Amino acid sequence: MTDDTRPVSFEQALARLDEVVARLEGGEVGLEEAVALFEQGQGYLATCRERLARAQQRIEELTGGSDAEFGTVADDPF
Amino acid sequence: MKTVGARQVWAVEEITAALGRRLEGIPSVWVEAEVQNLRQRGGQVYFTLRDSHQIEASMRTVLFERLAVRPEDGSLVQAYGRVEFWADRAQISMRIERMELAGEGLLLAQIEATKGRLARDGLLGDTRKRTLPLLPRRIGLITSAVGAARNDVLNNLWARFPADVVLADVPVQGEGAPRAIVRALARLNALPEVDVIIVARGGGALEDLMAFNDEQVCRAVAGSRAPVVSAVGHERDVTLCDLVADRRVSTPTGAAEVVIVDRGSLEAQLIAAQRGLVRGLARARESSARRVDQRTQAVIAALRAVEARSESRVSAAQSRLAPALRRRADAAALRVPVAGDRVERAVRARAATLERQLVGSAALLAALSPARTVARGYAIVRAPADDRPVVSAAGLHKGDVVELEMRDGRVDATVEGVRR
Repeated sequence: MTDDTRPVSFEQALARLDEVVARLEGGEVGLEEAVALFEQGQGYLATCRERLARAQQRIEELTGGSDAEFGTVADDPF
Repeated sequence: MKTVGARQVWAVEEITAALGRRLEGIPSVWVEAEVQNLRQRGGQVYFTLRDSHQIEASMRTVLFERLAVRPEDGSLVQAYGRVEFWADRAQISMRIERMELAGEGLLLAQIEATKGRLARDGLLGDTRKRTLPLLPRRIGLITSAVGAARNDVLNNLWARFPADVVLADVPVQGEGAPRAIVRALARLNALPEVDVIIVARGGGALEDLMAFNDEQVCRAVAGSRAPVVSAVGHERDVTLCDLVADRRVSTPTGAAEVVIVDRGSLEAQLIAAQRGLVRGLARARESSARRVDQRTQAVIAALRAVEARSESRVSAAQSRLAPALRRRADAAALRVPVAGDRVERAVRARAATLERQLVGSAALLAALSPARTVARGYAIVRAPADDRPVVSAAGLHKGDVVELEMRDGRVDATVEGVRR
């Protein structure tokens, strides 16, 4: 098992969650280890859910800078 | 020139020479035309340059063979050369020194050349392509704010996930486009949490897509901190940007699918994981209980085995013991009567001694008994309250009732006075 440091990215949390579930479901783990894995899994789940809850469908436009550098806006075929 | 009667008559040579003089001084020029009837003869390549008119042209074979892209019949070219006049036949042709493809051919040739440089720098290999994040914190979107691609991408993104997007509005074609795209990439990469960048544009003619074949754009895409998804043009349009990007999708619509996970399926996955955790823990608990049971069974079995061995030893011992005991008992039985006589005699002697001692003791006891004292004329004074003998005058007061025990009865008495 990898260490207990809290994963920084959603992908890591999800990957470790899968890993933990696979190990737990694979059997052959002692009860104590199973409880530890379960708790780790809960932590990763919380991280994932937290990330899910954060997304709010915001849109932000890059402004400022010198728009002149963007050149003249060309006609878009659409 | 000669004069014949009233007429001036010129030789052809004079005319061509005059024409030749007039054509002198025309500088070398670039001409754009279609190449036709290409053929090689001697050290020259001959061809016709044609639009609605035409002119013969030639180029030295050594130069022609060195061209980056050799035109074929039908190629649109831009050729640089000067007008030549062949006086002996009064023919005009062009002596070409440089020639490049023009129009789409030129663009394609430019793309090929750029592609060659990018490949040489290792920017086209699949090995350097990065994996896209499953759930980017923020998505950079570089496209035209007025283009359909913008809404296409956003709508499809948001149908999958309520993603947070940073939009960089750029011209997607025209002269300023490459520079604007490069700058937008730099600015998005400088923002925190932008985990992936989409470069999007709808389909168009080759020349409309040229910003995405621009070498600087390609290098900026290749050097981007965040992985880049190229969503340029339609299915058939492949740009260099597509080749250097970490992921290419054929349309802006497809971008959403590779850039972000579907919220519903992600939630389903998390729920499945949660169930897996619970199931796994339960299984571990059961298997642990089962192992404990198995161990208990094993211990019980082991104990039984020990017990069984003990029993068999005991019964074996018993079977050996019984005859031995019987032999011992038989031997003892023979000795008992002899011993019995001796014991009986000793016991009787002892009993007689004890009896004698007992009689002596009884006489002594009788002599010491209060009854004997009372029989001799003494009385025992008792306080009727507790029936204990009164042994001191100190405990008595006038008027106390006492009881006197005499040899043949008891007397109630009252204390008349106490003298001490």
